[in-house]
Amino acid sequence: MRKEELATEFEKIKPQLKSFILRMTTNVHDTEDIIQDTWIKVSSKISSFKEESSIKTWLFSIASNLAIDILRKKKRWSENVTDICKEAAMKNPAHFQEVMKIIETSEYAKFEIKEHIAFCFLCIAKSLPLEQHLCLLLKEIHDFKVKEIAIILKTTDALVKYHLHSARQKMIELFEGRCALINQQGICHQCTEMNGIFNPKQNVQEELMKIKMVREAKKANKVHLFDLRMEVLKEIDPFNSKAHELQLHHLEHNRKVMEKYLKENP
Amino acid sequence: MKYFITIIMFMTSLSASAQNGKATTGKKTFSRTTTISQYIDAGPSIVWALLTNASDFSRWNSTVVSIEGEIQEGEKIRLRSTLDPNRTFKLKIKEIIPNQKLVWGDALGKRTFILEKKGDQTLFKMSERIGGLMFPIFANKIPSFDESFEKFTADLKKEAETIARSK
Repeated sequence: MRKEELATEFEKIKPQLKSFILRMTTNVHDTEDIIQDTWIKVSSKISSFKEESSIKTWLFSIASNLAIDILRKKKRWSENVTDICKEAAMKNPAHFQEVMKIIETSEYAKFEIKEHIAFCFLCIAKSLPLEQHLCLLLKEIHDFKVKEIAIILKTTDALVKYHLHSARQKMIELFEGRCALINQQGICHQCTEMNGIFNPKQNVQEELMKIKMVREAKKANKVHLFDLRMEVLKEIDPFNSKAHELQLHHLEHNRKVMEKYLKENP
Repeated sequence: MKYFITIIMFMTSLSASAQNGKATTGKKTFSRTTTISQYIDAGPSIVWALLTNASDFSRWNSTVVSIEGEIQEGEKIRLRSTLDPNRTFKLKIKEIIPNQKLVWGDALGKRTFILEKKGDQTLFKMSERIGGLMFPIFANKIPSFDESFEKFTADLKKEAETIARSK
């Protein structure tokens, strides 16, 4: 493959790669650096691409390994990340002022419940062990096959299946217990609470009924509801969605809160 | 000859029943050993992953309340079992041969897990020996492990086979 061809392919795959790395790192700056380092690495090692796998698999493999190097040194987040971050936000009036400023000045800051569903998953999935988190994102969001994930993560099909299964089971149970959108006994109402703040005139029930996962909440089982949650995620590119400036600001806030929390609570 | 055939049949049935997920306990004056084995329709690496990911144990194993620590040779783990949920067992990982053998234990007991690859299956064997000079004094206070072993093995088989079938 010539460098020009590689550059074209890289640009095609870059948006997907960026959203994948962001979902792993929750850090915009780290994401930008990893994407840049990925390009430097692949363009200087173009001959090492033997076309045994697709170019997408190759690029994801290099970017994943760069991200893993950073993430191995960091602690995983807590399952109750959204509670911790909500409490921190409530105690910080400056955060709310920043949010209102973004809403007033940006055309990419209209709060939508489905964007918050994706954001919420992005944060909570950071509580999974790293390998499980990676397998889940690669399979459920980026549609890689088990064999391809095994190539990306330099592991076996069996281990990928194990990580994927464990990750799914944990997330299914976690959302079943927490998310009031799918379970009336769910303890978390953050998305509808925030919708009330940012879209006070909106009919929340009408908005919720636009989301298939919510429409099917009463009749579908928790496994199917998890698959529908993944469909919501697939629709949303965290760098290009309608509310990405607002959500990236939330993400930066949550990351800083969690880094402080994990330092203080070893 | 008839006598000989009967003995062979008896031995064969003993051998078959030993791999059907039923626990057996042998008692001696200074020790007690519970053993179980079971064929699992999954490769050893899946069974191994389940047995060595401490934080994931309680998700699939109904006999384990929690395991804290890393299941790596020389490391210590803190295990809480449904047999006595108020007690935390502090155990050392004594031996690890990836995909084949895991041993953990303390001064009183040792649990050994053996995995044997049999085609597409795994023959899973688990045993626990407890004993020592003081064993006769507290032997009656230790509950039977048989039921717990059978649940452990059934949970492991179910989970490993579900994972092996997944796509």
